[in-house]
Amino acid sequence: MKTDKGLPPFIRTWKRFYWLVIIWLVVLILLFYWFTNHFG
Amino acid sequence: MSIVDWVVLAITLLAIVSYGVYRSRGIRNIDGYLLGNRSLSWYHIGFSVMATQASAITFLSAPGLAYSSGMSFVQFYFGLPLAMIVLSITFVPIFHRLKVFTAYEFLEKRFDVRTRVFTAFLFLIQRGVSTGITIYAPAIILSSILQINVTYTTLFIGSLVVIYTAYGGTKAVSYTQLLQMSIIFGGLLAAGYMVVHLLPQGIGFKEALHIAGKSGKTNAIDFTLDLNNQYTVWTGIIGGFFLQLSYFGTDQSQVGRYLTGSSIRESRIGLLMNGLLKVPMQFSILLIGILVFSFYQYNTPPIFFNKLELNKIENSSYQPEVEVLREKHIAVFENKKADIDRLTEALAADDEQQIDELRLRLQDADHQAKEIRADLVSLMKENDSKADTNDNNYIFLSFVTESFPKGLIGLLIAIVFMASMGATASAINSLASTTSIDIYKRFISKKGSEKSDLSASRIFTLVWGVFCMIIALYANRLGNLLEAVNILGSLFYGTILGIFVVAFYVRRAGGRAVLWAAIVTEITVVTIWQLDLMAFLWLNLVGCAGVVFFSLLFQQLFGDKAKPIK
Repeated sequence: MKTDKGLPPFIRTWKRFYWLVIIWLVVLILLFYWFTNHFG
Repeated sequence: MSIVDWVVLAITLLAIVSYGVYRSRGIRNIDGYLLGNRSLSWYHIGFSVMATQASAITFLSAPGLAYSSGMSFVQFYFGLPLAMIVLSITFVPIFHRLKVFTAYEFLEKRFDVRTRVFTAFLFLIQRGVSTGITIYAPAIILSSILQINVTYTTLFIGSLVVIYTAYGGTKAVSYTQLLQMSIIFGGLLAAGYMVVHLLPQGIGFKEALHIAGKSGKTNAIDFTLDLNNQYTVWTGIIGGFFLQLSYFGTDQSQVGRYLTGSSIRESRIGLLMNGLLKVPMQFSILLIGILVFSFYQYNTPPIFFNKLELNKIENSSYQPEVEVLREKHIAVFENKKADIDRLTEALAADDEQQIDELRLRLQDADHQAKEIRADLVSLMKENDSKADTNDNNYIFLSFVTESFPKGLIGLLIAIVFMASMGATASAINSLASTTSIDIYKRFISKKGSEKSDLSASRIFTLVWGVFCMIIALYANRLGNLLEAVNILGSLFYGTILGIFVVAFYVRRAGGRAVLWAAIVTEITVVTIWQLDLMAFLWLNLVGCAGVVFFSLLFQQLFGDKAKPIK
């Protein structure tokens, strides 16, 4: 087993990858909020 | 089911099992058997983690939940992406660097053997019972389709999973899960397309969502601050975060998945992939549920979706009463259908006044339908006090078998089977890992040979498989299975997570303090649940915070010296 310090693909830093996940969650919540109001 | 469906079902299941067995051949020690020689890539880990969590219950209960209560359940998963980040930063590097087989092994390095065994014991109880439920869920499908006793279908499914898991261990589990998830995604897309395709002419995806929305089913987001509301944004983000962190960080069925990664990088990417995909996937499954709801606004739904129970009451002395209720049910639907047609026209014309008026009429019709259903359920209870009166888990299946074309029915049923097999295989594998590493190799066979350890692990896999099947035979009294699993998890996960949080972040706490803190907290959590003081998701937060608080308190009292991790 390697215990490397390899970086993630494309984004190049782990911090950016974590922010990407958080921003994606916020975008989803906003989309679902629109969905709730638009169709409800 | 037609011959074509049986062929599709048989080929799919056979292919999956054969592939798993083929890819896992040549295992010679428990490192290979329990951790796949720590050699897997991020996409293996990502799909394996998703397949482990997405049991058959996800595909049976979630659409049923959306059909009856709407989309609010999606909020339950909002804490998951955040939990994946914390895991990637904290848990993954520590577990990898310490080269542990199980999460509980780490607790002995940090605290003492009693804390390790206590936590492993909580896990074994919780996971053993939950796995029984995940076996039972698809067993009701076969039971319903073949009209045979659920006992036989439970034993059949359980045995199938136990055989390939006992043979191939973790590698068989991970390789089959990769294939399973690919087929599951394809099948879900096909199911979504078919539901829309089956709607009446002139009613498309958008119109179907509007119809469901006017009946309160598109309630995906709720920002209200209500401790007793099970699904809000806050319970999802806060309570869900603790539940998911505990599940992925301390439940061996998940820890065992990402410990198979060839490096920290591979394990991290696999977990973050889950963080990106899980919420949209769950939303899509719930969306199918509300589309099925819209379908049944234009087509008469069965008065009760569980055919076995319906047949039972129809063949009893209550048959005349059931017939009266059925006529009322059809009459309510016919009136409602006229209103739905008017609503469709009002939506097209954007006539707000008419839409509001019809919304009230539809709510009234729903209320009448619920009263008829309640009367039927009362009759079922009178006829048989042990009758299964919750048909949520049958809604999607009933729709699929009655409306989908030949071949696709077989594929959809295969998906439910595969989901169950994936989750069950991971769970049985993790139960065997914990028993082998935290009990057998720790206390009984400290210096056993590779061959004898491997044989013992296989025997533990078989024993846990049998235990889970026994639990499955009693799972039919638990109502909505998805909620039952999550409630059970919430009773234990908070405490387990609290122990790990103290291990990672409260450096001055020692083994004696954390053990007593965990015991006191677990008793508190079970008492709160018994007294129904709050929604179950909050129990995760209470459990975690309780262990941290009591650990600090007891540490002051005991004053033991903590053991640092090197």
